[in-house]
Amino acid sequence: MLRLDKVILHIVILYVIFLIGDWIQQTLNLFIPGSVVGMIILLILLLSNIIKLSWIEEGTKLFVNHLTLFFIPATVGVINYLEIFTGKGLLVIGIILVSTALVIGISAKVSQWIIRKKELQHE
Amino acid sequence: MSNLLIGITAIVGTLAVYLFTWKLHKKIVSPLTLPIFLGSIIIIMILAVFDIPYDTYMVGGEWINQLLGPAVVALAYPLYMQRNLLKQLIVPILCGTITGSTIGVASGILLAGWSGVDDYIIYSLVPKSVTTPVSMIIADSLGGVMSLAAVFVVIAGIGGVIMSPLVFKLFKVDHVIGRGVGMGSGSHAMGTAHSMEHSQLEGSISSVAMVLSAIVVSFIAPILVSLLM
Repeated sequence: MLRLDKVILHIVILYVIFLIGDWIQQTLNLFIPGSVVGMIILLILLLSNIIKLSWIEEGTKLFVNHLTLFFIPATVGVINYLEIFTGKGLLVIGIILVSTALVIGISAKVSQWIIRKKELQHE
Repeated sequence: MSNLLIGITAIVGTLAVYLFTWKLHKKIVSPLTLPIFLGSIIIIMILAVFDIPYDTYMVGGEWINQLLGPAVVALAYPLYMQRNLLKQLIVPILCGTITGSTIGVASGILLAGWSGVDDYIIYSLVPKSVTTPVSMIIADSLGGVMSLAAVFVVIAGIGGVIMSPLVFKLFKVDHVIGRGVGMGSGSHAMGTAHSMEHSQLEGSISSVAMVLSAIVVSFIAPILVSLLM
């Protein structure tokens, strides 16, 4: 059973790191979002053992496993933009599919090319 | 009804719909039962049937929305758990992800620009290959619309999973690392779930590529937008 007090403490820690990331983003006027800065900070703190995994594990796991919940309310906002799926909007869907196929194909191809070159060197 | 009561109803209702679709998706595994897809549709239908404005719903929804930031921070966890894989394969994964993401963002901006859609739609589709919480935040900071960004992410996710066998054939990709990087970079969490069905290794690589591409796109999106628009 998850301990609620532990989970809440973990979420508070995540929130504080998010606020620090946001503060850094605003102070340095960075163009990447504060939450992404926070993610990088947490990764560095974990890798350098400054934050122990056990300090944040349960709450973080819960967050990652139920990530979807947090973006349902904003997604529902599409209710105000339903006209996007008519006329020119359908073109947008086509563009997204073409562009996505390019991302998948090219990123896969590039990493496969590098790994095959490495494998050849090891042989 | 007081704002507090409306807020609590919206929060409890969203939680209930989410838990219902989450359980359903465990029983019936399909893109159509994904909580982001089915859950959002159920809430949209409830709002439409009872004629509730979105702004009223967001009195409570905003509270859940506020947790997007810490949710993005939490993504450091899967990356940390895969740190050994990350150390071993950082070069091929990062090179693939950077190239793919750059082409994804650039092709989105250029194709949408040529098609003549409004700028806010272009800003919303720029981060489409990135996991939803990060995508929404990137779209928002560019001047796009969060909810459109979320919908475009779902289209890229489901579309990418469906197109992937054909794409891999076309690009002659058969290596497990290539496939994992492709699915994570192009179709985020949905691609990762799809990769997991093939193998644990492909899924883990995909999850690493997903988080790295979120970081990469948040760096390159503002640059490419100012260069290409």
